[in-house]
Amino acid sequence: MEKLSSVGQLEWLRNKILAQRTEGKTEVHICMTGCRAYGSSEVMAAIEEEVGKQGVSKQVEVRATGCHGFCAKAPVIAIEPMGVQYQEVNPEDAAEIVSQTLRQNRLIDRLAYKDPSTHRPVFYRREIPFYMKQERRVLANCGRIDPTKIEHYIAAGGYQALVKALSKMTPEQITEEVIAAKLRGRGGAGFSTGLKWKFAREAEGRPKYIICNADEGDPGAFMDRAVLEGDPHAVLEGMLIGARAMGAEYGYIYVREEYPIAVDHLTLAIEEMKELGLLGENILGTGFNFHLSLKMGAGAFVCGEETALMASIEGKRGMPSARPPFPAQAGLDGKPTNINNVETWANVPLIIKNGAPWYAEIGTENSGGTKIFSLAGKVNNTGLVEVPLGVSVKEVIFDIGGGIPKGRKFKAVQMGGPSGGCIPEQFLNTPIDYDTIQRLGAIMGSGGMVVMDENNCMVEIARFFLSFTQSESCGKCAPCRLGTTQLLEILTRITEGKGQEKDIETIKDLGETITLTSLCGLGQTCAKPALSTLRYFLKEYEDHIKEHRCAGAVCDSMVISACQHACPAGIDVPNYVAAIANGKYEKAVDIIRERNPFPAVCGKICIHPCEFKCRRGELDEPVAIRSLKRFAADWYFENIGPERARFPVTKAEKIAVAGAGPAGLTCAYFLAKMGYKTVVFEAQPVAGGMLGIAVPEFRLPKEVVEQEVSYIENCGVEIRYNSPIDARHTVNDLLAEGYDAVFIAAGAQSSKHGGIEGEEQGLEGLYYGLEYLTDIRMGKDLRLRGKTVVIGGGNVAMDVARAAMRVGADGVQIFCLEDKTEMPAWEKDINEAKEEGIVINPSWGPKRIVHKNGKVMGIEFDECVCVFDDDGCFNPTCNESVSQFVEADNIIIAIGQAPDTSFLSEDSQLERALWGTLVVDDNTLSTNIPGVFAGGDFTTGPTFVIRAIASGRRAALAIDKYLRGDEARIEIKDEKTSFEEDTGLALDEETLTREQPRFAIEFEEPEARIKDFREVEKGFTEKQARQEAMRCLRCDLEKERRTI
Amino acid sequence: MKPKETDWNQLFSIIEKHKHEKWGLIPLLQDIQESFGYIPPDSIEPVAQALNMFPSQVQGVITFYAGFTLKPRGKYVIRCCRGTACHVKGSRSILRLMKKELGLEEGETSEDYQFTLETVACLGACFLAPTMMVNRDYFGKLSPTKVNSVLSQYKKSEKC
Repeated sequence: MEKLSSVGQLEWLRNKILAQRTEGKTEVHICMTGCRAYGSSEVMAAIEEEVGKQGVSKQVEVRATGCHGFCAKAPVIAIEPMGVQYQEVNPEDAAEIVSQTLRQNRLIDRLAYKDPSTHRPVFYRREIPFYMKQERRVLANCGRIDPTKIEHYIAAGGYQALVKALSKMTPEQITEEVIAAKLRGRGGAGFSTGLKWKFAREAEGRPKYIICNADEGDPGAFMDRAVLEGDPHAVLEGMLIGARAMGAEYGYIYVREEYPIAVDHLTLAIEEMKELGLLGENILGTGFNFHLSLKMGAGAFVCGEETALMASIEGKRGMPSARPPFPAQAGLDGKPTNINNVETWANVPLIIKNGAPWYAEIGTENSGGTKIFSLAGKVNNTGLVEVPLGVSVKEVIFDIGGGIPKGRKFKAVQMGGPSGGCIPEQFLNTPIDYDTIQRLGAIMGSGGMVVMDENNCMVEIARFFLSFTQSESCGKCAPCRLGTTQLLEILTRITEGKGQEKDIETIKDLGETITLTSLCGLGQTCAKPALSTLRYFLKEYEDHIKEHRCAGAVCDSMVISACQHACPAGIDVPNYVAAIANGKYEKAVDIIRERNPFPAVCGKICIHPCEFKCRRGELDEPVAIRSLKRFAADWYFENIGPERARFPVTKAEKIAVAGAGPAGLTCAYFLAKMGYKTVVFEAQPVAGGMLGIAVPEFRLPKEVVEQEVSYIENCGVEIRYNSPIDARHTVNDLLAEGYDAVFIAAGAQSSKHGGIEGEEQGLEGLYYGLEYLTDIRMGKDLRLRGKTVVIGGGNVAMDVARAAMRVGADGVQIFCLEDKTEMPAWEKDINEAKEEGIVINPSWGPKRIVHKNGKVMGIEFDECVCVFDDDGCFNPTCNESVSQFVEADNIIIAIGQAPDTSFLSEDSQLERALWGTLVVDDNTLSTNIPGVFAGGDFTTGPTFVIRAIASGRRAALAIDKYLRGDEARIEIKDEKTSFEEDTGLALDEETLTREQPRFAIEFEEPEARIKDFREVEKGFTEKQARQEAMRCLRCDLEKERRTI
Repeated sequence: MKPKETDWNQLFSIIEKHKHEKWGLIPLLQDIQESFGYIPPDSIEPVAQALNMFPSQVQGVITFYAGFTLKPRGKYVIRCCRGTACHVKGSRSILRLMKKELGLEEGETSEDYQFTLETVACLGACFLAPTMMVNRDYFGKLSPTKVNSVLSQYKKSEKC
């Protein structure tokens, strides 16, 4: 290439390159950066070979490009100008791609993106949701041009901004333009780039330096890497413009050595620029001189800090120094220096070329343009995402990122890496901007977003970041050197189950001190991960310290196997699964009953937290633990039945339990097992609580509950039916009658009212969820006619809608405030409801029930914009300008349940909590009156069966302790069963390497099942159950071996 | 395969190359490490002399940066990424497995100088988490089986 000696010659070159392009040539763009880790170079070689073999070299250009963004599906290729994207391409696909798509314009289903819900192929990139909400400006060239060829950049309009800056603008005008564009530093702190330039320009001293900070050390961030690898000239052009604006003669790019491809591409790019005369003396004949060199980092995170970075360029230990003086006054070599990060520089050509007004038309009031985020962690579409500033976190993670894999629950997103914090679920609607993110305790940082799901432990995450900052602290200032060590020690102690209650306060104090007194950014922000997790996940810290529970089931010291730890009741899952694998079904049920007297009920309707934590799920799919439990329990009742010998009464004390729901019966069962005489008082004529009177039979047949209750009765638990504890027979009376302790487990059985305009009692066609289900279950004739609207997004709403369908409603629609991702109902229930023809309308807030002559006519809804307010509290906001009227003959309100405390006499001395239930100690469930305990849904509000069961067992342990005069806290640790079952299962390598997917469960066909209340789900056959059980990896054994 | 004796001629030619470069110490050390696989402790003094520095200053810079090592490394440097994204996707277990498979702790080199096991703060390939790097090649979406197959690939390539 010849040296260009004027601005005009650059334009001439551009025209020449464009003219040489063959019209109508098909281009295959293959990512040769990130995707290389997944074999894209082999793919490229194979496609090139096929193109040659099939004789289309003249019509096809195979081009190595930078990152396409959609890294989750690497290797990714794009075919232009068709706009087709193929993903997860193998070298073996090359022949077909060339013969079908390139030669005959035929698309290949197998290689296309699949819509996650319909599984239909989506061929065109513009139709893939991952790209639809993005605004790819800085990344426009990334994945389209060959980053190693300057001609490609020039052809795509590159260096036009430089031409404009050199020929039409004064340095002051350039700076003003950047200020007007409201570009803020993309490296994290978010200072106005234009102002920073102005300071450097006005500073005295020569020469001046500019630096590109490409030391992307922040773990979890890779956007700078992608820009450097995919479009290096954009960064270099930005630097040239900046040098012109500030009057700098020398520039450095400080890049991590861990990015070899970026180093290669930058080196090449600089060579090409020198050849063309875009670097050096008298650039484009304008008299502008600028020299640029590359400096490689040597692996020190602190060098991302500007003063440390400059020390490192100067060949010293990369330690920060105090500011002021700021680099703009005295930086490199003591001379005025400006430092900007990669993405900031890459934004500059866009501003100059298109003008500040164009640039700032997207973004927020205080910051213009887009921001690139690297989306990683527990999110479906990992990759590079460029969005206008101001979009919500939710849009990035759920709309673009495709949500959380494997149906798990989102917990938090970490922004800003070790200097940042986490943003929990209630703030998902926050618009992304420097200031809003800062307010939440995180920072924008360089743009790393690491998504965490329910299987991550927030204490452990904080410990992880501190171990990082502790080892990266340069040691120059004491607050950081000693503080990070102390913080790490405390956090490690907590994750090891040795935490102390005062630790939480210590972390806060220490964190604040380190923040205030450290020398540089590393120290000043190192406490953020701990402080922000503490702010939003205090309970997790407390659970670790006080209860030895780890919500993510990851902290080794408290977890034997994740499934057992995840189970609120703490059942030894691996052993009963192993028993099933060995055909020992009775033993399996015995193991379950060590912690849970309701194996058959849980086998059918448990929300199975265990399966979400199952390690097999990381490989393919979790073991079907719930269905295995169901199989074993069904087998038990079929072959053995509910008969059994009573537990002998060995103790003198008597205990009364109020309420024969899962919590009450579990408590009674375990007390009986310990040898206590136990009597359960139940207001209804049937036992089981919600299980007996509310859960519809298509999910839980009546006989199942009856069998379990009868088993518990056979254990020696006496149930007195139709015996309410109320004003006529109070808790005090029970104590007076000689009961030594009372456990109140009265459930949460009164439906909440909506408080909607027009919601008048006694309206024909207006029902409430739980009462409605109870009436159906108790056999009342509740045929529905006409259109039915169900209000609510929880499990009861699903049950109500499905029940309504079965009693004759003409059409059932559910309306709820939450959007699709926020609905509290279980996904399985939502899907089954949809299959049955129920229409679910998310994001609608009920406004007014319209009725005439005492009969429901319909209901009006406003669009619900968000359910949580800026403080993360439940406080729905509706948009009144978008509303609809829905005609309805019946309205069933199922928006939640509350405990019915009317049975407690007014003068009862039991201390009440704010919302009407009783105040209890979290650990022992004891009330303020000695000997009286309360638990289950009654104190927690409605939750799931397994939690009520856990609460019942806790109460039994607490009552036993109380009666023995032991005042220590209850410690419910994971324990192995005494019925050990040691089998190889999938643990031995032979079976592990063989693919064995989870067995799918069969269901009754929707058309048939909605005709009656038959059970929807079918169970495993014996053969299926034993094979499914073999899939267990026996993590518990691994743990035992490790501790030896 | 024990590391070769320090080739002094090669060392001096590298020193010569960077001697007059402004702020040349780090590029010089990088060059030495690139050529020898590590920075031979013997080279500290000649480097210091050439750059007119104290040997302690040179040593200080070497020990400050995680990228420099004074110990010879194996033919294959295996880096397990311990970045955030990899961490939340279970790189702790991946590292545990590597240690077991290689019989090495972090920072150790096998006796035959085939393998060195290191951890790295972040490889910037978070989208493929958990990841590892063997010399300059990336491997992503690791599972226990994949780690075993990658490692055995390098073990095998040694035998033939």
